[in-house]
This record gives sequence, structure tokens and C-alpha cells, in this order.
Amino acid sequence: MSLDFLAVHAGPDAIARSPMEGLARAAGARFEVRDGWNVAVAFPSTAVASVAVASVAVASVPQAPGTPAPPVGWADTSHERTLELQAPADELDAVEHLRLGEAVRAGDAWWCRLTRTRALILGGVMPVAGALDVTSTYASLTLLGPMARETIARFCALDLRPRMAPVGALRPGSVARQPGIVIREAEDRYRLLFGWATGEYVWSVVADAAEHLGGRPVGIDQL
Amino acid sequence: MTQPGERLDRGRVITFTFDGKPVEAYAGDTIGSALFAAGRRTFSRSFKYHRPRGLMCVSGSCPNCICSVNGASGARACTEPAREGIDVRHVNALPSLEHDAMRATDLVGGPFTPPGFYYKTFIRPRRMWPLYEKVLRHAAGLGKLPATQPEREWRTEYRRRHADVLVVGGGLAGLHAALAAAGAGADTVLVDEGPAPGGQQLVTGGSRELVGAVRAAGVEILERGSALGYFDGLVPVWQSDTLHQVRAAQHVFATGTIEQPLVFAGNDLPGVMLASGARRLAALYAVSPGRRAVLATTSDRGLQAAVALRDAGTEIVAVADLRPETSALGRSLRAAGVPVFAGRTIVEASGGSVVGRATIAALGGGAELSFHCDLVLVSGGALPATSLALQAGAQTVYDRASGQFELSELPAGVHAAGELARARCDEAIAASGELAGLRAVAALGRDDRGRDDGRHDDGGRNDGRHEAARDVVRARIDELEARSPEAPGELALAPAVSGAGRGKCFACLCEDVTAKDVSQSIDEGYDSIELSKRYTTVTMGPCQGRMCQLPAVRLMAAETGLSLGSVGTTTARPPWVSVPMGILGGRPTQPARRSAIHDRHRELGAVVRWAGDWRRPYHYGDPQAEALAVHEAAGLIDVSTLGKLIVRGPDAGDFLDRMYPNRFSNLRPGRIRYGVISSDAGRIVDDGTICRLDDETFYVTTTSGGAGAVEEWFSWWLAGWGHRVRLTDVTQGMAAVNLAGPRARVIMSEVCDLDCSAPAFAYLDGRQGRVAGVPCLILRIGFVGEVGYEIHVPAAHGVHVWDALMAAGERHGLRPFGLEPQRILRLQKLHILVGQDTDSESTPFAAAMPWIVKLDKEQDFIGKWALRHYAQRTPATSLVGFTTADGDVPTEGAVIVDETGTPAGQVTSSRHSPVLRRTIGMAWVPTALAQDGVAITISDEGRRLQAEIQTRPFFDPDGEVLRS
Repeated sequence: MSLDFLAVHAGPDAIARSPMEGLARAAGARFEVRDGWNVAVAFPSTAVASVAVASVAVASVPQAPGTPAPPVGWADTSHERTLELQAPADELDAVEHLRLGEAVRAGDAWWCRLTRTRALILGGVMPVAGALDVTSTYASLTLLGPMARETIARFCALDLRPRMAPVGALRPGSVARQPGIVIREAEDRYRLLFGWATGEYVWSVVADAAEHLGGRPVGIDQL
Repeated sequence: MTQPGERLDRGRVITFTFDGKPVEAYAGDTIGSALFAAGRRTFSRSFKYHRPRGLMCVSGSCPNCICSVNGASGARACTEPAREGIDVRHVNALPSLEHDAMRATDLVGGPFTPPGFYYKTFIRPRRMWPLYEKVLRHAAGLGKLPATQPEREWRTEYRRRHADVLVVGGGLAGLHAALAAAGAGADTVLVDEGPAPGGQQLVTGGSRELVGAVRAAGVEILERGSALGYFDGLVPVWQSDTLHQVRAAQHVFATGTIEQPLVFAGNDLPGVMLASGARRLAALYAVSPGRRAVLATTSDRGLQAAVALRDAGTEIVAVADLRPETSALGRSLRAAGVPVFAGRTIVEASGGSVVGRATIAALGGGAELSFHCDLVLVSGGALPATSLALQAGAQTVYDRASGQFELSELPAGVHAAGELARARCDEAIAASGELAGLRAVAALGRDDRGRDDGRHDDGGRNDGRHEAARDVVRARIDELEARSPEAPGELALAPAVSGAGRGKCFACLCEDVTAKDVSQSIDEGYDSIELSKRYTTVTMGPCQGRMCQLPAVRLMAAETGLSLGSVGTTTARPPWVSVPMGILGGRPTQPARRSAIHDRHRELGAVVRWAGDWRRPYHYGDPQAEALAVHEAAGLIDVSTLGKLIVRGPDAGDFLDRMYPNRFSNLRPGRIRYGVISSDAGRIVDDGTICRLDDETFYVTTTSGGAGAVEEWFSWWLAGWGHRVRLTDVTQGMAAVNLAGPRARVIMSEVCDLDCSAPAFAYLDGRQGRVAGVPCLILRIGFVGEVGYEIHVPAAHGVHVWDALMAAGERHGLRPFGLEPQRILRLQKLHILVGQDTDSESTPFAAAMPWIVKLDKEQDFIGKWALRHYAQRTPATSLVGFTTADGDVPTEGAVIVDETGTPAGQVTSSRHSPVLRRTIGMAWVPTALAQDGVAITISDEGRRLQAEIQTRPFFDPDGEVLRS
């Protein structure tokens, strides 16, 4: 018997859904089925928060014409494939893209070595020998914008100052009082990984913090 | 004319209300300065005696101006900014500040309200205590919470901030420390609780350029922020509605000193102010604190304030300088026509609702001099603000020369600056700050400019420059450390009390503790400062000892004859400033796990309850009907909360043999076995099923609440044993539903690509197949006694599979069922719930599962030794089923009693079974009684219920239905 049943087999007859779909819908998301996943591709610019911080520009976020940039946006990226690789340390040492405490971008995937014997591979479509598909074990939100780090500081005690967490930093720790992982993907862009079952809770925490800083949810087309 | 330190924007007038009446202020005013300018002198009523109190410290230290702002109590009017439209109200006075009925406690109750009067007075008659308590609670407290919960709530934030260096205190020393640290490349945060950074320089406006330089150096300044305490390097800083949790590698405390009041008769009258407070009121807010002032001082600090106030237009009618000879500054005042009386101090302030007269005299007695005045300025020495440093582990010693408790030892990572480091003049204070900042950077081991943000790593090309910068820092540290220690200025030690016998002399304004109270507490045996603190509550009020610590120590020393150093100080504890509880609470978010199918449960109207960390559907409106539907047609329950582990590797079977008392290495692929995990003491800690997927792979389920603990338990043993086993927790990754009931097979056949007939898919088989097109793991097990299929599917497909099953089952009578009906159903089968029916003493033998322990296993397994021991002994109690005679459902936890009424056991579960039409339950009973048909008595909250024991399942005792 294989472990095929662990993998998300998204397709037109079996739509895969994020645990945060309901909250995204409530925030006005426009959904499209992509690769079998029902993903929030865009949000109306009115899905904004109570407090606007209009003076902050977001250089790294492509914007639709006429849509003001939020100082922080968050997108549900739970649909991206997640693989878990477990092997003896010397075997993982031999894998080029795996370095402890770092997320290394290789192709279209992040290779994240969590411990000496355990790694996650985020994104990508290529098969990885010996890896388990744990896509729906980890829900994921991507925060971006100049206030992204400040937003995370409202619910996470990890030290994400640029010197301590340069681009590519991989930081397991408490995220919104839940076990989680933070990856600094780019200058003003962070990915949060957390348990699938806590998705709704973490979205609500992120939304609460981000909206207070003038943020709003964004669709994956804005990433 | 605008003064150099003035903070007002005279072009912007704002209006707020105080007790409903409009008050005009300038932008930049505080509530206190605006009210004072408007003529108000009484700002609050004292805690116990309801005496009128006025502005005193103008720094947020004393309790005299506590008020409520927009319903939130505890604000200090003297530091709270005036804002347009705010609703400010007095506290602790009824009906008004001017006429407070509770003032009677002062006028007539003084002799009857000694320390501990609650305990002395209200102890008899005992039956009256509930009434006393009601009255006392009504009278106590400063302010009232708004009536409704929404009115009590406002948004508060947590913000985490890591830093290399945290500087607490934004005076001259703190600013220089921050500048030095940031200049050397350290990520630096500065906290200042004043209206703006600058400390004592604020009144002259002399710190603006320095503050600008600090900002330009990249220091984050948390203005109007209060450091609440020191918790192993974590310093919470309260700023407005935000609690910054600052975690820095190095800490510089530049918290300065706090001017101390004097203890004399009438020292709490409105119009009696700290000299520094009056100076702040005049300099920062352009408000004259009074027309005619008398100053009582022990050092030049008070004289400096008097000079400034005189320049601002206040007439200084007399100065009582306690020193035998006044200083040069005193002599210059005298030369300018101000009467300066050396060797004297104030003995009484008197008047009606405000000060009208001050009397001074020599300490030893002699002629008294009395002056008409509307302002009494006091300066009774300085208390180094050591609290945070002490919380960090520093020590203090009493220094006779300065009359202060000075820091003596600092723990690693903590640096003192400014007056806290015994610097007195501005130049020394600035140098001390710079030194502390540089030392902090040196301790970081990274005093290299330019490496701070990591964005511009130069690959080591500038190592020479960095080394040179380090040398500069080290050389500057050497230069600063080589300076001679500064001698303290001339001062006189303030008396413990003066004017005793003329009226109340308050040592503690917060708690209305008088000098007499402290004396009496000593007479009653509370003769140490810590005991006296607890008895009198001195230092326990909102000022946290800022205003009363030193006076209390002086009183204690005077009464006991001990030196101040021997008396010592009370233990410094957080919070260093009073803080609203809401700030500590943070955002009202509650971590919760929800199944991937949770939205469907909401749509179906489920009653959702907590089950461990999970939010679970308890039922969908009618638990009894839901339970019945499982027997009559089919039911579907979300069991995604079960723990789920993939255990794989060449040694997986052997590993599980060691973790469980029964065998798994001989389990055939595609088969399932129940397992109980025991502790090394042989007690049940969890249970679940294990399905062997292939030779090297097992799918292990655990209880919902035990998932995390089992994963940790497995990992811990794996680390020690070195098995070639990999463990993956897929608890949250896999949704799971259990389809059960006589129609379950038919429904499954419609949505599943497997042959679901009994021979092809037998009880305890595990198969991988597709349900509604999605690959799933399907386990033929049942917790509820009917034919059941537990379908495990990636959580992302959970809703899809649930919807498909519900749609297929509609015409078969399928209905969802929740946790409560599941509990009824499992009880019918006498399936245990670990934690509900078992406790930390329960063994498999006592829990009627001796068959699960395979003592003949060749491997050692966890708990084997203990279980072998238990196997040889009859347990004292055993877990059994029972039914009650009259249908009453006993409370879970009800007691089984023997014929004498002595407790002998306990009910663990009880429900009414709709299919059996009777009450069933499980209970621990003496093993001698654990036989079918034995009658037992249950004592349940005054009721006596008769019950009968049953050791076999109530429903389908032979499992024929389950296996069919």
C-alpha cells in the first residue's frame, strides 16, 4: 500500500479548499479554480481595514491600476505543495539546497531544512524521492509590504530584524501562539506556515493585526 | 512670552469636559495643566480618608491626580495629554470632588481607622461579615468600571521588539547612552515616560538638539512609554494602547532619581507640591503654580526650582533649607531678597481646601515662623529609581554621603547611567550615559559600524575600518572610566517626620498611611520594612513606592533606632508603574483548531463546543435522535480531531511493539489493531488504532487530546533507541469522518471504488481507495457499535468527501451526528474514553482489558515490568458498566458507596440510551463487586440511586453487528 492517500489530488471533480476559504469569501474574495484548488485570486480594494496608512508605499507589490497599495497585504498560499523529507543527517547534508536554518530557493521551490534529519520543500511540482506530501498539514499565509514585519511582530516573538533574519531565513517558532514557521522570502515578504486546523484562527489573528496597520487581504494574483 | 521648555501650541485650542463641564486647553497641555490653569486645585480624593488632593509631582508618579478618561480609570491628569472631546471624571468622591460625603472618615474616623482596622473592626460579629464586605467593597477602589462590558473594552496591542540595546530613561544620560550605542552600530530602542525625551532638561528646552541627534542615529524612541518590569531580559513597555515586549541583548537603565516629599503635618494639602513638579508645571505648560511660595528643601535641587519659579513670577516668601549653612545658591537667593532660613524645615502646612499658611522651625524646636502662602514647595532628597535594575538582579547599598540607596552590583548585560550611576552634574551625567552605551555595545561583541542591517554585507572588505571603530570605542571607554568619581553635593538628610502632633503627617499618599500608622505597626510587632509594608500597605499603592519608599524607611529607622541601611528597602516587583489590566491582556484571540469540514457544521446548525484545542460539533440539535439514527439508518461524524501519525521505516514494527503492550510486528498489511499506550508505570495514557499499510509503514491514530503528547512520547523514545523509524504527524493534514450504521455499506458502495461487501472489506481491514474520486485511507472500524467506515482524506478534500457522503446518504436516512451522540453510542459498547473513564492510576487490567497486555512478547516494552507486577495482583477497583433501576442518570463523578455509605468507587460516564431505553454508565467499583448483576448504590448530590453492574457491552455484546 502506498502513501498516495496523503497527497492532495486536486482536480475538476475534487476541488481542494484552504481552511481559510470561508474567511476569504467573507472578505470579498474572488475565487478561481486553479490546478484543482479553489484559490482567492483577488479582493476588492474595499476589503480594507478600519485604519488606513495611506502614506506608505509598497514597491514590491504589483498593483492593479488605480488600486492603492496596502502597507501590508496577506494572501492565502495554502494551495502550494508542501513535501516533507526525512532522512539521516548525512543524507540530507548531501542535498545541495538544504542548509540548516535557511530556506534556499531552487527552481520554483523553497528548500527548508528544519532539523538535521527533516526538511520541507515548499512549492514546485517536481517529484522528490522519499518525500511525503504534507500539503494539507501546513496552511500558509504570505505577508508582503513594508509593514509586513511590523504586522508579524504583533503576534509573533521571533526576531525578524533584517540582520537577524536575512532573505532566506527559516525560523520555526510560535506564530500566534501556535507552532509555526516563518520564512523571509524577500525584502518585505514573509511566508507563515502553521497547522491546517489553525488556519481560520491564524487568518483572524493576522487580519486583526494587519487591518489595524492599514492592511487588507490580497489575492494570489497580487503576489 | 513663550518659555524655552514650553510644550504648548497656543494656536490650537481644544476642549474637553471635566465632570461634564467644558474645559479649554491648548494642544500640548495635559489634563492636569489645563485644569490647574482653569483654577482647579483639588484633583482627587484620597483613598481612605477622602482628603482633597492636588497636583504634586507633575510627573505621573504620585496618586494625587488619578482620574478616569473616557471611562478608563487610573489615568494621571498631570501626564495624560488633553485631547479634543475627551470625557474626564473625578474618582473616589461622592457626590462631588468639592463635597465628598466620605470625608467623614477623616474628620471623625481617624482614631478608629488604624492599620489593619478591617481585620480588627469588622471581625465581630462574624455573621455580619457579608454585609461589611459589601460596604467595604463599595467604598474601596479608585474609580469605577463602566457598567457594561462593551464600554470597558478598548483596543490594546502587543508588539514584539528585539533590539541590541534598550535604554530606559530619556534624560540626558539615556539620550547619550542611546546615541553612543546607535552610533556604534547597535540597534537601539529608547523608552521615556516623560511628555517628551529630555528628562530634567525638558524644563529648559535644552535637550531638543540632542533628541534630534538620537533620532537621526536611528534610535527608535518610545515616547510616553513606561517600562513595567524586567523579566529575564524581557522588558514590557506600556505606551498608550500598546504593550511593546522589548527583548534586548543589553540594557541601560538611566532612570534617574525621583524627588522625595517631606513628611509633616498637612503635607497632603492641595498646594503642597514637589519643587520639581511646580517647576515642570510652570516651564512646560506655562501655568503659574502659585503666587506666594514657601520652599522646604534639603539640597540645592529645591533651590534651583525656587530660582526658576521666581524668574517665572512666583514670589518666594521664604526658604527653609535644612542644611546648617545654605549653599552658594541659597546665599544668592538671600542676596536677592528672599528670606533663606538655614537649619530649618517645614513643620506644618495649613489652610482650608488649599494651603494658606506654612510654618517652619528648627528640627530641635525653638521659634517657629509662619508665612501666608498659596504654594508650599518641598524637596526632601532624591530616590534613585533602581526598581528595574533591582528586578534585573542588581543590589543596592545605603550611601551615607548621598543619603541614598545606591546601586552596588549590576548583573551581566545591565548598565546604569546618569544619576543611577551616581553622576550629579550635567557633564558627568552625559559622560556616564555615553559610557554605559559604549559598554553595552562592547558587551555585544559587535561595536562595528555598518554591519547592522545585513543588507549591505561587504564580505569582510572593511574589516580594517571596523577594527578601527572598535579601537575608538574602547579608547573612549577607557577615557571615561578614568574620570574621578563625583562627590555628592551638599545636602541634609530629611527628617523622618516633622510637626508630629499637629495633624496627619502622610508617609504614603496612595494608601493614606500616616507616620503614626507606621509607628503603631512597629509597636504591634511589624518591625521590619517588609512586614510593615504588608500590614500598613505603605508602598503598595499606585505610586509603587516612588513617593513613599524613602519616607517609610526613614520612619522605620527613626522608630527602631536602626540605620537606614539596616532597615533596607522593600523588594522591587513589577509592575514599576500601575498599568491597566487590559494592556496586559493583549488582543482577545483564542487559539482554536477547526476541522476542514467546520464550515459545513456551522451551516448545519451544529452546537459547537471546545474539545481540547478543537472546536467540535457537539450535536446538531437533537443528540438522542442522532444516536438513534446511527442504529436505524446511518450517521456521519467528523473525527478529524483524532491524532494521526505515519510511522515508517525498517524498524517500525519493532518500535511499535516497544511502545504498546500488544504486538504490531505480526500485524498483516491491510489490517488494523487496537492499541493502548501505557506509561512506564503501566498506566493507560492513550489509545487508538494502528493500521499496517505495508511492511514498513503504519498509520497510527490516537485520541484527539493525546495527539501531541503521543507524538512527543514516540519522538523521545526514538531519539534514545535509534530505531530506523521516521515519524510524521499528519493530524491536521488529514480530515477524517466515520460513516456508521446499517445503511453505511450501501452508502459507501455508492461513493467508493472498492468492493465494500463484508467478505471483501472485513471488520478491521484498512484499504486505500477513492471516495468521490479522492484517494483515501478507509478503516473498517467503529467506535459506535455499528458497521463503520472511518475515511481519512487530505484535509483540503475534507469538504468534498463530506458533501459526497451526505449527498449519497440523503435517500438512506443519513444524518450527521456530533460528539454527544457518539458518547452515548460508545458507552453502549463500553468503549473507554481515556481521561474520562481512566485516570493516572488506571491500568489495562483494572480497565477490563487484560487481553491487550502481551507479557509473553520477546521485546521489552514500555511499562512491561509494572504490568507484569499488576498481572499478579487483583486490582482494588475495576471498571464496569452499570444500569440504573429507575432510569435516573447519575452525574458523572457521582460516588459509589458501600453499605455503610463509605465512598468505594466513582461514576465516570452516564447517559440515557435511546435505543436501549434505559440509563447506562461506567464506573470504578471494588473488584469484588465487578460481576454481572451485582447491585450497587450511587450517591449523587444527595440522591441515592440503585444500579446493577454489567461487565459486557450493553449493545451487541458479541460484536456481531460490528463484524457483519
